[in-house]
Amino acid sequence: MNEKELVKKAQAGDFEAFTDLINAHKSTIYGLARRLAGNQEDAEDIVQDTFLKAIDKIDQFRLESSFGTWLYTIALNQARGMFSRRQQTDIRTIEEYLPGGQSGHDHSGDGYQLFDWQNPESLLENSQLREIIDRLISELPYKYREAFVLRYLEELPVKEVARQINESEAATKSRILRARLALRDQLSDIFEAEHGQKMS
Amino acid sequence: MGKKCPEYVSELNDYLDGTLDEGLCSEIEKHLGTCANCRIMVDTMRMTVTLCRDGKPEPMPDALSARLNGLLKTRWEQKFGKPQP
Repeated sequence: MNEKELVKKAQAGDFEAFTDLINAHKSTIYGLARRLAGNQEDAEDIVQDTFLKAIDKIDQFRLESSFGTWLYTIALNQARGMFSRRQQTDIRTIEEYLPGGQSGHDHSGDGYQLFDWQNPESLLENSQLREIIDRLISELPYKYREAFVLRYLEELPVKEVARQINESEAATKSRILRARLALRDQLSDIFEAEHGQKMS
Repeated sequence: MGKKCPEYVSELNDYLDGTLDEGLCSEIEKHLGTCANCRIMVDTMRMTVTLCRDGKPEPMPDALSARLNGLLKTRWEQKFGKPQP
């Protein structure tokens, strides 16, 4: 049975058709929720709320997109609702992530050199590294985390990220860049500290 | 050199994603040859995304699937009623 037929049956009250639709997309939705949440508990809440919302709204689904796309958008809305209620601090501006901070000067000749980490596996075990990365992503303020996750972990084009987060492409690009710079900056601090400990 | 480092940094994502126009790309590449910090910035920004992508996708836990089955059925029956025997 194709997706359209399953949707029609689900809209007529067929629970099995609905579970077939959900089962086809549950891994995608769980993966998205896990990446956006950064922890198991919140991810499970997002998945649960997404599927319950899909039941509540199934009769409003007009097959203008695929069922998977519709479900994906519901999941993003659920995650946004969950995290926007939590207080979060902002991250720095693009310029502030440069050595020399906001001065905007050409830093090539000021003697300060960024820590160059090309081989982080030599500094930390893989499992430690994974834990750190998950934590750093989950600590990003949500609007940056969402843009970064959609662009680089879900691998959506910038245009599609912009559509999903309801922002202009320019604003979306800026969020993605700031998230990437923030993560790079924090990873650098961690790797530099590890390197220092190994050298001492 | 026309631009200062901060102006290059705002273009780095597009440069790394391969979506920057050719003229700016060659300007950035020329700059990277002379600016150690921008080169490190580019290399470690690239590595940041590589590391973030490295994790294996985790499957949905069985316990969650089982819990959801019950919850969804209950909500479904609230909306559509219990199926007729």
